[in-house]
Amino acid sequence: MGPESLGYLGAGLGAGLVALGAGLGIGRLAASALEGAARQPEASGDLRTTMIIAAALIEGVALFGLVICILLALA
Amino acid sequence: MRTPRYALVAVAALLSVAAPAGAQDAAHDEEHFDAVHHTVDGPYLDFTPFGKVELPRLFVVRGDDGLRFDAFASTSAAVASGRYHAVAHEAGEEASHAPDAAGARDAHAPEAAGAEHSADGHAPAEQSVGDADHAPAEEHAGADAHATDPLSSTLEPADGDVLIDLSITRHVVFLFGSMALLLLLLVPMGSRYRRGVGRTSAPRGLLQNMLETIVLYIRDEVAKPNLGPDYRRYLPYLLTAFFFILTANLLGLVPFGATATSNIAVTAVLAVFTFVITQLAGTRDYWMHIFSPPGVPAFVKPILIPIEILGLFTKPFALAIRLFANMTAGHLVILNFIGLIFIIRGLFGDAAGWGTAVPAVAMSVFIYALELLVAFIQAYVFTVLSALFIGMASASHEHDHNHSHEHDPTPHDRAVSESAPLLSRGEARPDRERTVGTEAAISPF
Repeated sequence: MGPESLGYLGAGLGAGLVALGAGLGIGRLAASALEGAARQPEASGDLRTTMIIAAALIEGVALFGLVICILLALA
Repeated sequence: MRTPRYALVAVAALLSVAAPAGAQDAAHDEEHFDAVHHTVDGPYLDFTPFGKVELPRLFVVRGDDGLRFDAFASTSAAVASGRYHAVAHEAGEEASHAPDAAGARDAHAPEAAGAEHSADGHAPAEQSVGDADHAPAEEHAGADAHATDPLSSTLEPADGDVLIDLSITRHVVFLFGSMALLLLLLVPMGSRYRRGVGRTSAPRGLLQNMLETIVLYIRDEVAKPNLGPDYRRYLPYLLTAFFFILTANLLGLVPFGATATSNIAVTAVLAVFTFVITQLAGTRDYWMHIFSPPGVPAFVKPILIPIEILGLFTKPFALAIRLFANMTAGHLVILNFIGLIFIIRGLFGDAAGWGTAVPAVAMSVFIYALELLVAFIQAYVFTVLSALFIGMASASHEHDHNHSHEHDPTPHDRAVSESAPLLSRGEARPDRERTVGTEAAISPF
C-alpha cells in the first residue's frame, strides 16, 4: 500500500466518520428540538430557528473535515 | 388536470440533471468522468451538449521589460497567439499545444485532439487534478489530450510570469450575473418604496410582496434581536449579504449554471466583509474583552489573549468554509451519483448501467431538492452569524455585569416588540421601555 492509496483510504474513512459525527450531532439536536416543541407548541417557531442555526454550525464543522478529505483525495 | 403537469415537471427535472451528464459520455472516453473538474472554476461556460463558450483571458504579466497587461478574447486566442502555452496541472511538464488544435472549439473531445497529440509524440500519460475516477488509461492519446487541453490547464506566458490572473472565469460571470440580477430586481423595488407604494399604501405585485416578506423577516428576526436599537446601521449590509448569497446559490442550481459561492475566494471575500464590519463596529468594551478579559486572574491572561485573538479570526474563516463547502458538496454529490451510472456500466456492462440509471437519477433529484433547501439555509445562516458577530462587537449595554434585569429576549418580549407600531424614520426604539403588554401593566413606572 503506497502513500497514494493510503491517502485515498484515509479520505474515504474520514468522509465516513465525518458523516457519522454530523449525523449523530444533528440527530440529537433535532431530537431535543422536537421534544421541546412537543412540550410547548407555541415556542416551536423559536425552536425551529435555533435548530436550523445550530444544525448549520454543526454541519459547518462536518464540512471542514470533508474539505480535508477532499484535499487528501486530490493531492 | 394536475397530474400531467406534475409529471411534466418531474420529467423535466430528471432530464435537466441527466442530459448534460449523458452528453459528457458522448464527448469523453468511458472512464473519463471528472466530477471535481465540473464543480471547480474554469475559463469557459459549459453548455455541454451544445458546446463551450470560451471566456476572455486577462493577465498582468511581469515580463523582462516590466509589467504588462495581456488581454485575449478566449483561451484559444491566447494559445494561438504563440505567446502563451498550456501547462498540464500535475507534473510541471510543459507541453506546447499544437497550433492546429487551437481552432477546435470543443477542445474536450479527445478523439479529435488525440490524433494530433499522438503525432507530437508526447510525454507519458498524466493525471489532471480532479481525475479520481480515471482508470489507468490504455490510450495515451486520450489522457494526453486531457493533460494538455488548454481549457483545463494553466496558461503560462512564453516570457515572464503571470503576476495577477484576472481572467474572466465561469464564477466571475455568475458573480456579475448575480449582481446584475439583484440590481435589476431590487433597485426598482427600492424606488417604489421611496415613492411610498409599500409604506403609505399596500405593496403591490408578486415581487414586492415576496421581497417585503423576506426583508421584514431579516429585519425582525435577524437584525433587531442581534443588533439591538442600532440595527439600521447594519441592516443594509445584512440584506445585501443575504440576497447576494441566495441569488448566487440559486443561480448554481439552474441547468448550465455555476455557483459563484462554491468558490473559496468568493466566500472568503464575503467573510472578510463581515470581519471588517465587525471590527469597525467594535466598541471599547469589545476590545477590552479581547485584550484583557475581565474576571480572570492575571496569570491566565497570557494564555487567554492569544486564544481570543485566534477566535477573532476563526469566526469569519468558519463562515467562509461553511458556505464554500456546503455549495461545493451538493454539486459534487449530484455529479457522483450520475457518474456512478457510468462507473457501473464500465464495470458490469451496458445493462447494469441502464439499471442503475433510474435509482441514480432519482437520488440526484432528491439531492437537488436538498440543495435548494441548503441554498436558502446557508444564505440565512451567513446572515444570522454576521448579525450575531456584529451585535456582539457593538453591544454597549450587555457587559454591565451588575445588571439585574439583563436577559435574553423571551418569546413574550418578542411578541411585544412585534406588536409595537411602525417607527418613523430615524427613531430607534428604546430597548427597555415596554409601553404595551403585561410587563407594562405590572411594572410600577
